[in-house]
Amino acid sequence: MKKFLVVLLALALVLPLAACNKDTDPDPGQEDKYELALVTDIGTIDDKSFNQGAWEGLKKYAEEKNITYKYYQPAEKTTAAYLDSIDLAVKGGAKLIVCPGFLFEPAVFEAQDLYPDTKFIILDGSPNDGDWEKEGGPTYRIESNVYSVFYAEEQAGFLAGYAAVKDGYKKLGFMGGMAVPAVVRFGYGFVQGAEYAAKEMGISDIEIMYHYTGTFEASPEAKTLAAGWYEAGTEVIFACGGAVGNSVMSAAEEADKAVIGVDVDQSNESRTVITSSMKMLSISVYDGIEAFYGGTFPGGQSVTLDAKVDGIGLPMETSKFKTFTQEDYDAIYAKLVAGEIDILKDTDKTDASDITLTVTKVTFVE
Amino acid sequence: MSTVFFVMRQALTYSIPLLIVALGGMFSERSGVVNIALEGIMVFGAFTSILFINSVQDTMSGQLLLLLALLIAGLSGILISLLHAYASINMKANQVISGTAINMLTPAVAIYVARMLQNVQQINFNNTFRIPKVSVLGDIPGLGDVLFKDAYITTYLGILILIVSTIVLYRTRFGLRLRACGEHPHAADSVGINVYKIRYAGVMISGFLAGIGGLIFVIPTSTNFNATVAGYGFLALAVLIFGQWKPMRILYASLFFGLMKAIASTYSSIPFLLNLGIPSNFFKMVPFVATLIVLAFTSKKSQGPKAAGIPYDKSLR
Repeated sequence: MKKFLVVLLALALVLPLAACNKDTDPDPGQEDKYELALVTDIGTIDDKSFNQGAWEGLKKYAEEKNITYKYYQPAEKTTAAYLDSIDLAVKGGAKLIVCPGFLFEPAVFEAQDLYPDTKFIILDGSPNDGDWEKEGGPTYRIESNVYSVFYAEEQAGFLAGYAAVKDGYKKLGFMGGMAVPAVVRFGYGFVQGAEYAAKEMGISDIEIMYHYTGTFEASPEAKTLAAGWYEAGTEVIFACGGAVGNSVMSAAEEADKAVIGVDVDQSNESRTVITSSMKMLSISVYDGIEAFYGGTFPGGQSVTLDAKVDGIGLPMETSKFKTFTQEDYDAIYAKLVAGEIDILKDTDKTDASDITLTVTKVTFVE
Repeated sequence: MSTVFFVMRQALTYSIPLLIVALGGMFSERSGVVNIALEGIMVFGAFTSILFINSVQDTMSGQLLLLLALLIAGLSGILISLLHAYASINMKANQVISGTAINMLTPAVAIYVARMLQNVQQINFNNTFRIPKVSVLGDIPGLGDVLFKDAYITTYLGILILIVSTIVLYRTRFGLRLRACGEHPHAADSVGINVYKIRYAGVMISGFLAGIGGLIFVIPTSTNFNATVAGYGFLALAVLIFGQWKPMRILYASLFFGLMKAIASTYSSIPFLLNLGIPSNFFKMVPFVATLIVLAFTSKKSQGPKAAGIPYDKSLR
């Protein structure tokens, strides 16, 4: 028994060393200075969503231009820990720090004054003091060294819903994770996109199941829920909640039905993914960094990237549509760009059931 | 009618892992070692076996791969359970604490190793193990729909484990000794039974079963393994207590839990239940409320193994 423990202990000591030898360090620079930095939020750098998308953009630019880069993972999910990581990045020589996620709002709010010489790109958020208790909500202030980026998720969702109905699907499902603003916008857009397509095609038998699971985790509950929908006739589910999507895909594989992915192109996660409702995270980070080095950093601004600037879209190359063609996609995309379609957002309606629909029947599952 | 069969089929995906893991817990507790490490062992078993599937799935697939993976899950479950056995049997440590330590340790190890090997903490796998329909048997109305369509061999394995466990526990010399060590280890020792050995065996069996339970839980649930089994190890403990440490009752308890879980998740596609307008949280509550009620009524007669949780000390005889 003792020998066994000794062996186990020895292994525990050797394994990390072996890892060091493998050199998984992604930093090409020799000196300890990293010009470009990214601080991760709750997820990890490989969350197949937010952090990863942003990281890929940063990495692409850095490798092309041979600039040093590094990511920092905060010890915990608090503003203090985020600030520590930002401080670490600044001390590490960062000239520009990417902060993906609205959780960074208060941290960037403080950091923009603490480090006036450092530039920040915050995704899905705008710096504020984080005091939501206050009358009228938190105080927003953005300095010239911060570039805040939002995405028009409702347009991305709209495209997904439109394409699904145009492609002949009649019974759809929306399964969101937590009902955070971005997820809600995806859902609203999805419903309205389906409605728009149905009207255009002159049909009135579109049915949508609508549900927020309340987590971003894969679980047998989410899988069974999806399996139940598929069993009851749902043909395609828009899985909009991180790993919840993997449970939906698992159910879709069993039932031989379809899934619409979210945030990034998820076609390689499962053969059932017919398309993905994408936010062009890596492109916008890439563009932001490029602007910084070009001397045109759009600091002090908060922008919402929509169809006009290719901020959202569907990956048509990897999509598995039967009848929905590239021309159809280009046509509807052009309408979004031209602003011909008015899509309601989370700020317009507090609840999805308030959206007025004429030909689409939505069943809300609590 | 097909909806009923569908719900029952879904219920099995919850029931079978719960059944197997709870039976594992039964062997450990009836030998006198409380095992709340079931959750952690499940994670570890699922981790090693999914890692195995991930690395060989390009060259292998189907049932043979699943059987090999189950073996690996079981063996690694044994390995990790030995830590618990050593701490709680040899070192006479508090069994709850060593169990908790394992529950905290294994997800961390799974994430750490996965990221070391492939830089990503989720381990992907292709589910090639589902049997769409068993020939002949799948045509039986009713039973065929529930047991032999969209099935996994693990369902039958679970039933097999149940039968074997019942026989081992009640019809073999080892089973009798195991039960004796859980009830009155000093008496068992006095007639020449090595209590330490029997308890080791009990914990190792629970490690094996919890390990394969972890894999069985993960496969139909997701397309990757993310270092978690969503608290089903703890749920299996509840099943164990609900089932009063007896194999057949554990079966009923796990079927009940599974059915309630399935109804809670699928009710939105059953028009009858949807029209009742009861929120899903109500259905989610049912298994736990039922557990409380049943325990309240049966706790007087509740027959947990008497010596469970007490380290055996020869000198106290």
